[in-house]
Amino acid sequence: MSKEDVFSKVVDILGKYSKTEISADSITMETSILDDLKINSARLVDIVLDFEDAFDIEVDDDDADSVATVGDGVNLIMAKI
Amino acid sequence: MTLRFRDKLGLRIQHMAGWMTFPFWGTTIIGLLHIVGRYKVSELREIRRHFRTLQKSNPGPILVCSNHLTKIDSVILNWSLASVWSYMRSFKIFSWNLPERANFYHNYLTRSLCYLASCIPIDRGGSRDAVKRSLDKAIYLLKKGHMVTIFPEGGRSRSGRLNKEQFTYGVGQLVKKVKDCNVLCIYMRGHNQDSYSSIPHRGARFHLRMELIKPDSVHSGLRATRDVANQIFDQLTLMEQAYFASAGQ
Repeated sequence: MSKEDVFSKVVDILGKYSKTEISADSITMETSILDDLKINSARLVDIVLDFEDAFDIEVDDDDADSVATVGDGVNLIMAKI
Repeated sequence: MTLRFRDKLGLRIQHMAGWMTFPFWGTTIIGLLHIVGRYKVSELREIRRHFRTLQKSNPGPILVCSNHLTKIDSVILNWSLASVWSYMRSFKIFSWNLPERANFYHNYLTRSLCYLASCIPIDRGGSRDAVKRSLDKAIYLLKKGHMVTIFPEGGRSRSGRLNKEQFTYGVGQLVKKVKDCNVLCIYMRGHNQDSYSSIPHRGARFHLRMELIKPDSVHSGLRATRDVANQIFDQLTLMEQAYFASAGQ
C-alpha cells in the first residue's frame, strides 16, 4: 500500500471524529489532530484502534502516545504494514 | 517506566513533609470546610468504616476514580474517607492527586499547600513528555502502596453528569501498568450541585458512594486500555444512575 493510500484512509478515519469539516485538500502531513482538526484528545485511542482495524496492524500504548499529527499516524502505519 | 532517582527522592520528601505538617494544614482545611463552607458529608462514619473495610480486604494498590464537579473534590474526598488521626497513623492513605497546574500553582500559598497535600501538578494539553512524567510518578506511587486519585473525565463535567465524550482512556493505561490494581470508584456530589462550579455551594451536604472493582480485560494493547477504562466509566455511570434514582430524578 502506498503512502498516499494510507494518507487518504487516515483522513477518512479522522473525518469521523473531527468536530470541523474536513476536506482532504486542506489536510497535510503536518496537520495537528488535536489542534487543527479539533479532535478531543480522549478520542485518540479510538482513532488508533480504527487504524489497527483498517490496516490490520497492532499498535502499543507508547506508539499510540506518539501520534500527534496526521503524518505521525501515517508514518506509524507505514512502519507497521 | 523510567522515573529518575531525583523524582523518586522528591516524592519521598514531599510525602514526609506533608505528613509532618499535616496536623497544621489538615485541621485548618477541615476547619475551613466546616466553618466557611458549612459542608457536611452524609453518613460520614459509615463511609469511613466502609473504606477501612475495603482497604483491609483488598490489599494492593488503590487507584481512586471519581466523577468531578468542583475544584476541591479531592479535598472533600480525602476528608470523607478517613479522619485526621487515621491519616496521621498512615499518611499513605492520604491520596495523591494530579491537579491541573494552571488551577492551583499561580501563587505561593496554593502552591505550597498543594505540595504538602500530595499533589503532582499536571499540564493538561502540555507536552506529552511532561504529562507522561506526571503519570509515571502516579504509577510509581501506586506500586509503592500509596493511594492516588484521578478524575478520568479530565476536567469538571460541564453538563453536571458523567461525560463519556471527555472520559480519557489514560486511566486504563494506568491500571494496566500497576499489577493487581484495585480501582475505588467514587460517586460524590453535593445535594445542591446541579452543575460544575469552582467550589461547592455553601452548606452543601455531600452524598458519597464507593465501589471497589478490579478491572481486567481479555484483550491486549490499546483495546485492553479502552476496555479497562470503559469498565470504570460503566461503574461510575451505574452509581450516578443510582444517585439520581434515589433522589427521585
